[in-house]
Amino acid sequence: MIPVTETLTPPTDARRTAGDVLLEVEDLAVEFRSDDGAVRAVDGLGYRVEAGRTLALVGESGCGKSVSSLAVMGLLPPTARVVRGSARYRGTDLLALSPTKHRAHCGTHVAMVFQDALAALNPVHTVGYQLAESLRARTGTSRREARRRAVELLDLVKVPNAAQRVDEYPHQFSGGMRQRVMIASALALDPDVLIADEPTTALDVTVQAQVLRLLAEIQAERQMGLVLITHDLGVVAGVADDVTVMYAGRAVEHAPVRDLYAAPAHPYTRALLRSVPRLDAVDDHAGGRLPVVPGRPPVPGRVPSGCSFHPRCDLAQDVCRTDEPSLDDVGPGRSSACHFAAELLGGARA
Amino acid sequence: MPEPTAATATPDAPPVDASVSFGGDVWRRLRRRPDVLVSAAVVVFFAVMAAFPLLFTSTDPQRCVIGDSKTRPQGFGEPHPLGTDVHGCDMLAQLVHGARPSLLLAFVVVGASVVIGVVLGLLAGYYLGWVDTVVSRTIEVFLVVPLLLAALLLLSLFRKVSVGSGAFDVILLPALVLTLFGWMGYARYVRASTLEAKNLDYVTAARALGASDLRIMVRHVLPNAIGPVTALVPTAIAGVISAEAVLAFLGIGVRPPAISWGIMITNGAEWVTGGYPYLLLFPLGCLILTVLALVVLGDALRDALDPRLR
Amino acid sequence: MGRYILRRSLLGVATLLLVMFVLHLLTTFAIQVNGNPALAFFGERVPTDAQLAAVEQRFGLDDPCYDQAGNPCLGPFVERLGAYAQGDFGTNLRGREVTDIVATAAPNTLKLFLVVTIVWFLLGMGLGTVAAKWRGRSADHGIRLTSVLIDAFPIFVLLLVYRYVFAVPLNAWATETFGAESLPALLFRPSFDDDHPWATLLVPGILLGLAGSAAFIRLVRASQLESYTGDHVRTARSRGLTERHVVAHHVVRNSAVPVVTAVGLTFTEALAGAVITEGMMNIYGMGGVLWEAVRGADVALVLGIVTILAAVTVVVMLVVDIAYAALDPRIRYA
Repeated sequence: MIPVTETLTPPTDARRTAGDVLLEVEDLAVEFRSDDGAVRAVDGLGYRVEAGRTLALVGESGCGKSVSSLAVMGLLPPTARVVRGSARYRGTDLLALSPTKHRAHCGTHVAMVFQDALAALNPVHTVGYQLAESLRARTGTSRREARRRAVELLDLVKVPNAAQRVDEYPHQFSGGMRQRVMIASALALDPDVLIADEPTTALDVTVQAQVLRLLAEIQAERQMGLVLITHDLGVVAGVADDVTVMYAGRAVEHAPVRDLYAAPAHPYTRALLRSVPRLDAVDDHAGGRLPVVPGRPPVPGRVPSGCSFHPRCDLAQDVCRTDEPSLDDVGPGRSSACHFAAELLGGARA
Repeated sequence: MPEPTAATATPDAPPVDASVSFGGDVWRRLRRRPDVLVSAAVVVFFAVMAAFPLLFTSTDPQRCVIGDSKTRPQGFGEPHPLGTDVHGCDMLAQLVHGARPSLLLAFVVVGASVVIGVVLGLLAGYYLGWVDTVVSRTIEVFLVVPLLLAALLLLSLFRKVSVGSGAFDVILLPALVLTLFGWMGYARYVRASTLEAKNLDYVTAARALGASDLRIMVRHVLPNAIGPVTALVPTAIAGVISAEAVLAFLGIGVRPPAISWGIMITNGAEWVTGGYPYLLLFPLGCLILTVLALVVLGDALRDALDPRLR
Repeated sequence: MGRYILRRSLLGVATLLLVMFVLHLLTTFAIQVNGNPALAFFGERVPTDAQLAAVEQRFGLDDPCYDQAGNPCLGPFVERLGAYAQGDFGTNLRGREVTDIVATAAPNTLKLFLVVTIVWFLLGMGLGTVAAKWRGRSADHGIRLTSVLIDAFPIFVLLLVYRYVFAVPLNAWATETFGAESLPALLFRPSFDDDHPWATLLVPGILLGLAGSAAFIRLVRASQLESYTGDHVRTARSRGLTERHVVAHHVVRNSAVPVVTAVGLTFTEALAGAVITEGMMNIYGMGGVLWEAVRGADVALVLGIVTILAAVTVVVMLVVDIAYAALDPRIRYA
């Protein structure tokens, strides 16, 4: 007997039209309880996910990008809690719902793909079981039908020999194949928004490209909203439509991808871009050392005053130490949290 | 895959010899804990008592005057500070001299088990093939027989076999049996460690440079495996001390007329309700103190060596 | 999976034979070292000629191989195996069949183990859950420290103290206050009573269970923590499954593996503990019989019981291995 949950939600039939705002996060703040008191891992993050568009959430480790997604999904560990902000799925604030109702949106409306597929998949259940699990448990699909759908899902993510492999266990798959299985399991109930948390970090470069291409294809086909969380700017360029750059728990810049790469409006973004190794480097650093940003990203809980980037910024002035810049519009579809964004955009080189 | 963060400059950490700092690290962690210090003191106290009994008492435990039997503890300074037992033998002297067989047995058994286990584990993990098959099968077979049962069986059979009466002779038979069935855990652990270490890059490098097998095993594999094994030692010693008490209770432990805590406990147990509880409580107290101290040490050692807590 | 079972079973049989052989070798050696082989079976007793002859015949001790130290005595070994196969495990000093003794004693041991298992379960679930819930805080540390101390505290000492220091006075008091047949009197009785098996087994069972509970407290704590922080549990939740489903299929299901492993690891210790417990508390179970046999130097009985218990251990290990593979597919394909 397949138990039917009380908040049974069938797979959404609503066709997603390009431009629909599917997910809107506003002023999100997440706190962790630690021995030294409360630590803010995310402090004022906002972004918007539209159907058919990919948003890349970029930043170094510790900047809060994964935590923010876990908050949206309601998957924060017991030591963490959301202190303010909203995450609206088609208008409904997920963060204001009860845990049970929040959970009900997972899988059907918003789904997540995790970084380490080997740890994220249960080793004692077959891949087919894990793919079919939500179908059987939440929609009352029969075992046979669910298995058929599982094979279909494996085909969708281009796992060869799907009919045989559906009965195998996660440890019998290679890294790249496992990640595809992860993606397939997230797509089982046809969610509107897919959050992919560093989906390719643990993979080889060639496999990375394949998986990203797969994600792009599926997204285009289904007109899903895709949030791609990554620290790798190389990945972002080829896949994203819009980019939000995070630093120390906040968004510091947001722009369409081309605009960002062509003319960053925040010193941090500029530094990130400059440090990406390029074969055709033509600036004065050609053949020399990679430019580095001095210092290290701040530890959550010990964020510098004013603009959190100021200790490492070559444009920093007194005002940066005291006043925290807000995320202001600096152009069509662009915003930046820097007192000197205009100068940067104007081409002035510091 | 390494994280290509925005290239940040970090000052180069001065190269440190890994094994030296690890050992130093462990030592520092242990030194700071008060329970470790107290436990270590207790263990050292009893170890010294076992090694140099004459420091603690000049009375001969074998000199028993029946007329003095069952005198209650008189306090220090008197001829019988802790009283005498049923036969009139001085309790303090017995306790002090009794420490030796109990502790000696424990140290010998654990020492020998560790050596055997480590050697076999290293060989099995390093050479694999038939060496591994033989060792692994042997481990399995011996593991199946519970230590206590084997001890009960064999020592029953050896009851009539006479050995000498020197310090090592009285513990010889129990030592042999307990060692024979006590090495498996270490062997299994070291074997697993060796298997892991074998594939590490620095071992391959050493081999490419022509290092002999022995050198690789001793200098590269052993140091990694030995740490966690060390954490098992204090608890194992405690286990043997307890086991000796059980064997003595059944009459198959340390041979009389040698005295051990186990024998004292056995003799004293019946007299508790008769109004002479001290006959049991003194040796039992020593046993409990030593065992608990060792267990605390073993636990602290395990914590200190746990890489996840570093 | 079927192949794995077959393979493990064959290995199990081989291990059993090897164990028998090792026991045989050791006992043979002990007998040879003893001088007169048959005397080894009597310890310090002086046997009558009839008893001596009976033992010699039963164990084939008139075979010349027993006079040479180091001779593995394969002939007698094979004969002994044959006897075992027919269910003949020898007799005790008074001629009673070992199998007969075991048949009477085993049920009591099983009852004891039942009490022990319940204690493990209750303590494990109770303290393990608390420790997980208050992870890192003093309750967690306290529970961990206590379980470490309990684990290492010799059951022998525990029982010694209970039996000689507490049980007798408590029993006396209860008998006076409530009467000899009352529940409290029976509970504190320092020995086993056939007419009231459960009452007299309860306290020993609780003590033995207490002594071995550390592993289970740790296990429950670990599996509960898994449910709070485990990656695959998080994935299951991300699929929108209810908490109940997640716990059943991802937390409990996965923690079955370490539990089975723990059972495998603690079985030999539990068996040794049971021997001590039954011995100290005069319980007529397998362990108690063995205990008395050692004390009374009834070597033939000791040999028979140890052999049977070793065989039981092999079987239990085999079952544990198979269960382990059934629960964790990574093992099967290794």
